[in-house]
Amino acid sequence: MAMTTIMGALELGLILALMSVGMFISFRILNIPDLTVDGSFTLGSAFAATFAVQGQSGTGVLLAVVAGALAGAVTGLLQTKLKIQPILSGILTMTALYSVNLWVMGNKPNLSFFGKDTLFTPFERFLPELAAKIVPILLLLAIVTILIRLFLGTQLGLSLRATGDNEDMVRASSINSDAMKILGLSLSNAIVSLAGAVMAQYQVYADISGGIGMMVIGLASIIVGQALLGQKGGVTRGFVAAITGAVVYRFILTFALQSGMASNDLKILSAALVVIAISIPEVKKFIQKRRARRHA
Amino acid sequence: MLELQNVNITFYKNTVNERRALQNVSLRLEQGDFATVIGSNGAGKSTLMNAISGFYDIDSGRILLDGEDISYQKEYKRARKIGRLFQDPLKGTAPNMTIEENLGLAYTRGARRGITSGIKKRDHGFFVEKLKTLDLGLEDRLKTPVKLLSGGQRQALTLLMATIVTPRLLLLDEHTAALDPKTAGKVLAITEEIVSKNHITTMMITHNIQDALTYGNKTIVMSGGRIVLELSGQERKTMTMERLLELYSSTANDTFSDKMIL
Repeated sequence: MAMTTIMGALELGLILALMSVGMFISFRILNIPDLTVDGSFTLGSAFAATFAVQGQSGTGVLLAVVAGALAGAVTGLLQTKLKIQPILSGILTMTALYSVNLWVMGNKPNLSFFGKDTLFTPFERFLPELAAKIVPILLLLAIVTILIRLFLGTQLGLSLRATGDNEDMVRASSINSDAMKILGLSLSNAIVSLAGAVMAQYQVYADISGGIGMMVIGLASIIVGQALLGQKGGVTRGFVAAITGAVVYRFILTFALQSGMASNDLKILSAALVVIAISIPEVKKFIQKRRARRHA
Repeated sequence: MLELQNVNITFYKNTVNERRALQNVSLRLEQGDFATVIGSNGAGKSTLMNAISGFYDIDSGRILLDGEDISYQKEYKRARKIGRLFQDPLKGTAPNMTIEENLGLAYTRGARRGITSGIKKRDHGFFVEKLKTLDLGLEDRLKTPVKLLSGGQRQALTLLMATIVTPRLLLLDEHTAALDPKTAGKVLAITEEIVSKNHITTMMITHNIQDALTYGNKTIVMSGGRIVLELSGQERKTMTMERLLELYSSTANDTFSDKMIL
């Protein structure tokens, strides 16, 4: 593989790692499969692109974060106040977001802002070309991950973790579990939307269907990471696993594309990867059982 | 002080399965009272506790805690004042969080939980000291995830968590029923010690009639959603298991189930 291909895979992998860190909050900490992701990722891209066209990349990214948090809050409210099933709540918000995203993009299915200043422009001035993108992406990923990890160690963060771990206990210990779910989903989707915004900035382009399948990619990253680093360990290890998984996953896809796989086939590969990563423990158990039976 | 005035709860209202789970229940516990609650399955013991804790909404009546009307307060808000233990030891702790994190969370009960550190350095010694009182060796395992503890250890930890900030009321719903006899005895002894040391107003459901008469200073007998008997003072001191059974069958229209007579 050429150097630029490797760097490209690493950059994309790290942007998806940011999304996976966000998804880790809903999927692993709160234990809620959140399908809002496909919509909130595009939401971030839409805000970033719309404002970048007018030369206001910074504002666009900030608004993306706020909008993502709101989208997550909507899913949370549907789940807790209207008692709609978690998966359905996410699907409903995601569906509604399709229209919202089109409004944001001025009813255009895609927006290009080639030639405009992006978040990467200032870095391109004083960094060599090879580092101009990876350095800011890495910085952002590190800052977000560290902030979230620190937050999860606070009183509020512990309450959030307990909500996903044992809801019975949480209600008996004066924690408002509804509020915690809404907070967690907001936080999660704010980060996912931020990742969508960075993706648009990176590609200088936003597409209304850019978020399709992102939920599965995030899941793949979290699960592949866990398969690689092991099930054990605390929250910190979980974040490291999600980031590792996202990068590894992106490299697998890049390798598949380089070996001649059609880009239309990528989604089935993603789905297959998730199935394989999830089934590893079961397969191991099956093999052990058979071995034990043979020796008995 | 806990006061219930004519509390009613009906399940499956206006259907053929309608069941009056609590019927005009009135009750008064003074500060520091330790009441044991007995009654056969379906007598309304757990419903009573769930009504007080806010898990069930009441249909009518009033619930007062230290004079404050909590009848329609949300469950998590009542939990600031009420400590609770369930029969299932798994219900009271967060399994994937460490002992220290669980205690840190319990220690902020009733306070506003903000973005200061969840486990403060100065609290560390306090937690160790509290865990030592359990005498289960947990003080050396602060960083252990709670899921690795045994049922008895988890229930003892839950008890500590429910009382680490002294609650105004402690509700124990058969909290030793899932433990082996030896561990159950130990957890009961710890319960008694914590409750009497801190003068916590307590209600404890049990299926063990002997325990019901041994522990606490009041015994409440329930049947068919009503309180049919309240024992305290001299009457309770001279009460025997046999006489209580007799009294029960004369006042209640159902008999003790086999599970009761242990």
